Amino acid sequence: MSVIAILLLPLVAAALVCLPFKKVWASGVTVTSSSAVLVLTARIAWMVSLDKTVVSGLKAGVLKWISVDGLSALILLLIAFIGAAAAIFSVGYMAHGNYKPKKLRLYYANYNLFIFSMLAIPVFSEPTLVWIVVELTTLASALLVSFENTREALEAAWKYVVLSLMGAGFALLGFLLLFAAMQASGSKEAYTWSGLVNAAHSMPPVLLQMAFLLILIGLGTKVGLVPMHTWLPDAHSQAPSPVCALLSGIETSVILYVILRLFPVMQASPNSHAGTWAIVLGLISVGAAAFLLMQVSDYKRMFAFSTIEHMGIILTAVGLGASAANYGAVWQIVSHCVTKSFCFFAAGAVLLSAGTREISAVRGLIRRSPAAGAALVFGALGITGAPPLAVFLSEFSILKAGLAQKHYIATGLLAVFIVIAFFGIMMQVNRMAFGVRENDSDAAVPDDHSGYSGHFTPGNRFHLPFSCSLALILTAVPVLVLGLYIPPPLQGLLSQAAAVLTMK
Amino acid sequence: MSDTTNQLLSNLNALVTGLFLLTAFGIVAMRQARGCLNLFIVQSLLLAASAALLGLRYQSVDLYGVALVNVISKPVVVPWLLRRTSPAEIYTRREVDQALNIPTALLIALALAILAYFLGLPLLKAVAPEFRGPNVPIGIAGLLLGAFTLTVRREAIPLLIGLLAMENGAFLCGIAVSRNLPLLIELAIATDGLIIVFIMGVLTRTVQKQIGTTAVGELAALKEAPVRSAQREETK
Amino acid sequence: MTRKIIFNLIQVLVVMVFAPLASGLLARLKEMVQSKRGPSIFQPYRDLWKLFHKDEIISEDSSWIFRFTPYIVFVTPVFVTLLIPVLTNYPLFFAFMGDMIAGGFVLALGGFFATLAAIDTANPYGPVGASRTRMVGFLAEPVFMIVFFTVSFVAGSTIPYIVQEKWVSPLSNFFLPSHVLLVLAFLMLILAEGGRIPVDNPAGHFELAMIDESKSLEYSGRGFALMKWGGYMKMFVLMCIFLNVLVTPWGMASGQTVGAVLLAIPYLLFKIFCFLLVLVVIESSFSKLRLFRISEFLGAAFITSVAAMIAQVFLT
Repeated sequence: MSVIAILLLPLVAAALVCLPFKKVWASGVTVTSSSAVLVLTARIAWMVSLDKTVVSGLKAGVLKWISVDGLSALILLLIAFIGAAAAIFSVGYMAHGNYKPKKLRLYYANYNLFIFSMLAIPVFSEPTLVWIVVELTTLASALLVSFENTREALEAAWKYVVLSLMGAGFALLGFLLLFAAMQASGSKEAYTWSGLVNAAHSMPPVLLQMAFLLILIGLGTKVGLVPMHTWLPDAHSQAPSPVCALLSGIETSVILYVILRLFPVMQASPNSHAGTWAIVLGLISVGAAAFLLMQVSDYKRMFAFSTIEHMGIILTAVGLGASAANYGAVWQIVSHCVTKSFCFFAAGAVLLSAGTREISAVRGLIRRSPAAGAALVFGALGITGAPPLAVFLSEFSILKAGLAQKHYIATGLLAVFIVIAFFGIMMQVNRMAFGVRENDSDAAVPDDHSGYSGHFTPGNRFHLPFSCSLALILTAVPVLVLGLYIPPPLQGLLSQAAAVLTMK
Repeated sequence: MSDTTNQLLSNLNALVTGLFLLTAFGIVAMRQARGCLNLFIVQSLLLAASAALLGLRYQSVDLYGVALVNVISKPVVVPWLLRRTSPAEIYTRREVDQALNIPTALLIALALAILAYFLGLPLLKAVAPEFRGPNVPIGIAGLLLGAFTLTVRREAIPLLIGLLAMENGAFLCGIAVSRNLPLLIELAIATDGLIIVFIMGVLTRTVQKQIGTTAVGELAALKEAPVRSAQREETK
Repeated sequence: MTRKIIFNLIQVLVVMVFAPLASGLLARLKEMVQSKRGPSIFQPYRDLWKLFHKDEIISEDSSWIFRFTPYIVFVTPVFVTLLIPVLTNYPLFFAFMGDMIAGGFVLALGGFFATLAAIDTANPYGPVGASRTRMVGFLAEPVFMIVFFTVSFVAGSTIPYIVQEKWVSPLSNFFLPSHVLLVLAFLMLILAEGGRIPVDNPAGHFELAMIDESKSLEYSGRGFALMKWGGYMKMFVLMCIFLNVLVTPWGMASGQTVGAVLLAIPYLLFKIFCFLLVLVVIESSFSKLRLFRISEFLGAAFITSVAAMIAQVFLT
């Protein structure tokens, strides 16, 4: 039952925030509901990690397709966590923008709908239903991306919607073909993820492969895999920072989760080349993103490219196919989610204090706003995989698994690209945080469209809103802790999630 | 049912799919936004007709449901929603310059249709004989042509129509090969299409209000760094 | 044998006699749609009669082509009539001489000479019309080819008598997508080749906008009469191919008696009358395209014909 509550809470919240009360009401409702969702989700994840059972709902309507296993519980937990953190961050961030109350209500309504649509993806196990919810994530977040209504934001939103929906069109055909393959296999299983795995060995391989490719390309568009990535840096840089954290930190991973769901199916089918496809597409993404990272001029864009890189890493890891690599992949999902959302919170804090998105206009940030500067450096270190932090361990375990699998070339390339990305990001961030401006006149060019005034005169310290700092601290804790110590329940959940991906 | 009736139904279905293909070509090339919308309505009706014919042929009630959903949602609700959400100006606009000129676009579209045939052929071999028919290759062709429409058009409404046409194509394929899809899911997908129209309509209106045009293809400011930083250098 | 020759001659006579009538009828119907009375449906006969009794003026600077062309324009449709099913659904004496492709080429020959003659006189409007006709012709040619290829692909032949059999046996073949799409493509072709409204305005008298008409501007007297009559017959022949081979392969004589063949004449006229009604609807509801849009119109015809072929491929 609590699964249904998880889905209902954001919907109720979306309805409540539309009520015309004070500004505090909308943000308060959102924070409360997302915290409640986090608590409920944690309970479900706890249950799943303990007795390895699937939490099922009722037997009526769409509810009969609700089921949560290790992998979906993990994703669910991540969504709830980032959702709550971003809600907290939104409070201070949006208050800073001086938006009209009506516009703010629209923001929170969309925010809750977006959270709802993301939560629904791991909860449902019927593939076509999942497709529909994936579409909903795009649609719910479209108006969030275009929130600032500048020319750039609208362009980003338009590209985002059109390309995502175009991909979804291909994916729809893929899911329909998957259903056809299910029918052709003659199996009596229900059309769910687990049913697919059981029926996979007797499906016509052609149908299955075609379906897989269509879904990989279609949903890969929304994940931002490289030939289809063009919209991602735009959308993930133009949206308000808390939304960026959601888009980049969690949405891409959730969509990737849907693709990952197909890997056990493909492995059960004779001579499928799913792994090869994943490695190729993954490595292309990592490589292209690593090089594109170096020429960005916008720091939010830089983190967006880093997202493409990490999606590529995860896909490559799953493509390697061993259970160790799968473990690395799910761990990478976790560490990427927390770190990347932290990064975007940090980027949001920088934007608040510097008033511009241009890298070249931000210099000596650590002196202007120590909190924002430190957060930026910490986030950059975290996301590039500097040693004691979460991403380092997960990337390391993937590389180790790759070497153990004797995929020397793929692993080598992966390592090289990761190092390149490390230098690409650190170089820029280093200049932003510690750099010295040549002269004062060329700095502090306020971004005309961003809606913030550039209060960036020398010696004028900027103080982050309390809720922003809180969100930063909340997400910084797992980034730091997970690199050193993994609590046993999470450990159990991770290994179960990896087990879902591995063929029995 | 007798053989001749079945043959007639199959041929009628083939005719409907053939016309479907023609409308897909039309959506690629049609200049007027209004014309595009009309073609899309015709296409949706053809999709519904194909579903009804297949339903009649294989006595499948679910397919009647699909037909009904299509008849109601797309030709009626989609134009209504568009009228409610989008500026009236979109209907009067003609697309003066596409990314490609029309004959070239049509030739590429033809190549895509032929590609669809080669993609569909192995699929047809994999499914049971009763699932075969022109729906699969033409559905794939519809999907590809819809995607192609998205790459050549610049106006908001033709782009939206391209998206919906992609979905139509996928469905045309789907009603042939995955016939027993739960009706609930079909309904949900139809609703989803309407949400697409709504959101894109709102977005179009915002674009028009902020920028003064619905030629969204002209929005191309967001690019990688060199251009922007070069501008910055110049201003110094 | 002799009977088949006679039938063939009857066909030719029917085409020669009724072609101006079809044209007059179309003009009248169009006027009626526009709430005007319009000329009598026999006006083309009167025109021809008048022209045959007038003197002919030929430019001194023109060559033999100019003098020779009216006869070619007049003879080519007659020639085609020998090949196609106008009244009978079995091949007649001369039908062995060529298939639909041959018919198309023979018609094109007439057009070719008309173009040459238009250039020949050095009247400035002639070459303008000629080059425009060529442009339409060049664009229509590939469509013709694809239509014929599709027909031969579906029916396994380009002999019109075999093709018309194909669509109705069994009757469900009539609804084949390739058939319907072919009909659409061919209809567009007739509009383009016959100089009908989306492509050319046959009623227009503004020289700069003319396409087809300007080619016979320099003719007078008997030459002009032959050109006009040839034009009527060409349209009639195209309609016969369209109706008897593609759209309505019914109502033609299958018996070998003179009576059966004569009985087929009213059927044919009725079909043509119906087709003229369709044509009137088309002509009244569209406006003439700008010259450079014609390529798009014919592009649409091309796509339709290729779609017909693709749909046929998809079916097999």
